[in-house]
Amino acid sequence: MKTARRALVVSGVLIMGYAVGGALTDTAVRAGVLVFLVAVLIAHDVLLLPLAIAAGALISRIVPPGLRSPVRVAAVISLAVTVVAVPLVLGRGRVPDNPSLLPLDYGRGLLVVYALIGTTTAVAVVVRRRRRRPHGDRDDPGSGSASRSGSVDPR
Amino acid sequence: MVRDLEPGLSPGPAARPGGRSRSSAARLAGPARTALRWLRAPLPPPPDSLRRGPLRPDAFPSALRSPRLTSLLGIALAVAFTVCFGTGLISHLIQHPPAWFWWPSRPVGLYRVTQGLHVATGLATVPLLGAKLWSVYPRLFGWPPARDLAHAAERASIAVLVAAALFQLVSGVLNIARWYEPMPFFFTAGHYWSAWLAVGALIAHIGVKLPTVRQALARQPDGPALDGPALDRSALDRSALDRPAAGELTRRGLLGTVGVAAGVITLATAGQTVAPLAPVSVLAPRRPQTGPQRLPVNRTAAGAGVRDAAFDPRYRLTVAGPVRTVHLGLPELAALPQHTVVLPISCVEGWSATGTWTGVRLRDLLGLVGVDPADAEAYVESLEVRGRYRATTVPPPHSRDPFTLIALRLGGEILHPDHGYPARLIAPNRPGVLQTKWVARITARRPE
Repeated sequence: MKTARRALVVSGVLIMGYAVGGALTDTAVRAGVLVFLVAVLIAHDVLLLPLAIAAGALISRIVPPGLRSPVRVAAVISLAVTVVAVPLVLGRGRVPDNPSLLPLDYGRGLLVVYALIGTTTAVAVVVRRRRRRPHGDRDDPGSGSASRSGSVDPR
Repeated sequence: MVRDLEPGLSPGPAARPGGRSRSSAARLAGPARTALRWLRAPLPPPPDSLRRGPLRPDAFPSALRSPRLTSLLGIALAVAFTVCFGTGLISHLIQHPPAWFWWPSRPVGLYRVTQGLHVATGLATVPLLGAKLWSVYPRLFGWPPARDLAHAAERASIAVLVAAALFQLVSGVLNIARWYEPMPFFFTAGHYWSAWLAVGALIAHIGVKLPTVRQALARQPDGPALDGPALDRSALDRSALDRPAAGELTRRGLLGTVGVAAGVITLATAGQTVAPLAPVSVLAPRRPQTGPQRLPVNRTAAGAGVRDAAFDPRYRLTVAGPVRTVHLGLPELAALPQHTVVLPISCVEGWSATGTWTGVRLRDLLGLVGVDPADAEAYVESLEVRGRYRATTVPPPHSRDPFTLIALRLGGEILHPDHGYPARLIAPNRPGVLQTKWVARITARRPE
């Protein structure tokens, strides 16, 4: 396995070298790629991800324990869809003489997706509670250990 | 994408510079050992007073993070990146073919599938990469920041991997929305070189992390065997960590969430190439049937600056060969044998749409100037004066294919100017950017 790992690391470093050399000699690339590489890294690691983690902590604060998981699931899915949708919603790529480009109302489309995610989550919560109720006395699957949740900081 | 080597889990950085030298000739062993010692020499630890905020040991308390979660997400991500890299490389090679490369003209919709897969996989990777980076985020604040130079190099390569992976997804999303202002480079070239960077960093990362992944996947801490007597204490401790607190997601729950997110994104966008999905794809950048003559357009006649030239009554299509050259007006083109084919326009941006094209076979035109169509390539130039895609080379498999047309009509109607009036190239299994519109000149030649 050691040999295989060495081969992987060496070939990976060589390929990275090929990428750097290729980008440096490609006149269509220039320094802009480096700027963008750093920019997306900072935007993600300093902005987007801390905000997402803060949102997760906020959910632990304001959402009752029994609803936290479904709310988290809905939030994660919504966030992922939003990342893909934002450039479409902003529509900065539209050109006046080409109506076939970005032909839809993406703001409305994104709201439709949010609504579907919300509805599906709500239905899932209701169905799960109904299913659990006949089997036990608890009407809230999460409330049994609610006392513990105060000491455990999620995310 | 684990941002730090777990000490004891992996021999890690030693494999890099030391490994290469150790296997070489014995006379190099001395200097190599010195270099290795230098790389592994412990760096002075930073003062503990700096260990604040996210650098605190308990800054990230979520019990959901684990090597097992990271490994599972990492494997899925490696598969997704491999699909994107493979399909992207195919697209690049078709557009910039080296001498050894060969691309068939059939099946007619192959490129439609590979490029549709490229974009769909890339979009579905968004939640996957997000979850993966979340799972290893605490390692960004690992303490000490660097134990030795080898560790520092490994962390730097992780930064490159994360940056390149984010670069690929962000630039790809911007490209399908045709929003180029935020990208200070030519998209295609930047996306291409960054792909090599991501793949190189990924391969090196796999090499470093292989033992961690193997160990993380070897045990099944949340399996039913947990209560069995054979388990050691550490596994039991871990299982306690893996059991979620009230209202917390389980690992399976998070993986399922990532899968559902990828599915939602796919359904919301794939209608741009899978026509039956178009009604539910509310976030599709294109609709396969929206556009002039029910077909989308990337570059309009006005945008390309060819309107006047296209409607000039003196328009002639020039076909030049080694033996003779002919100039054909529209009536003469229409008098040649006409053929109708059903072929997709498959854009590099991932959308595709099927059209019914009518026109003259390219091979017939090559025959007119005395070239054997069985072994010829055609250099097709547009009326466009400038532009990256004003001319393309049609290689022999496509030149001789009877489906390859210089089309005059689409869906029975005279071509819309935005679809290339007076005449355009349409060939099977080719990217849309190579389906030259407003064709002015065809040069037949023997392939080099």
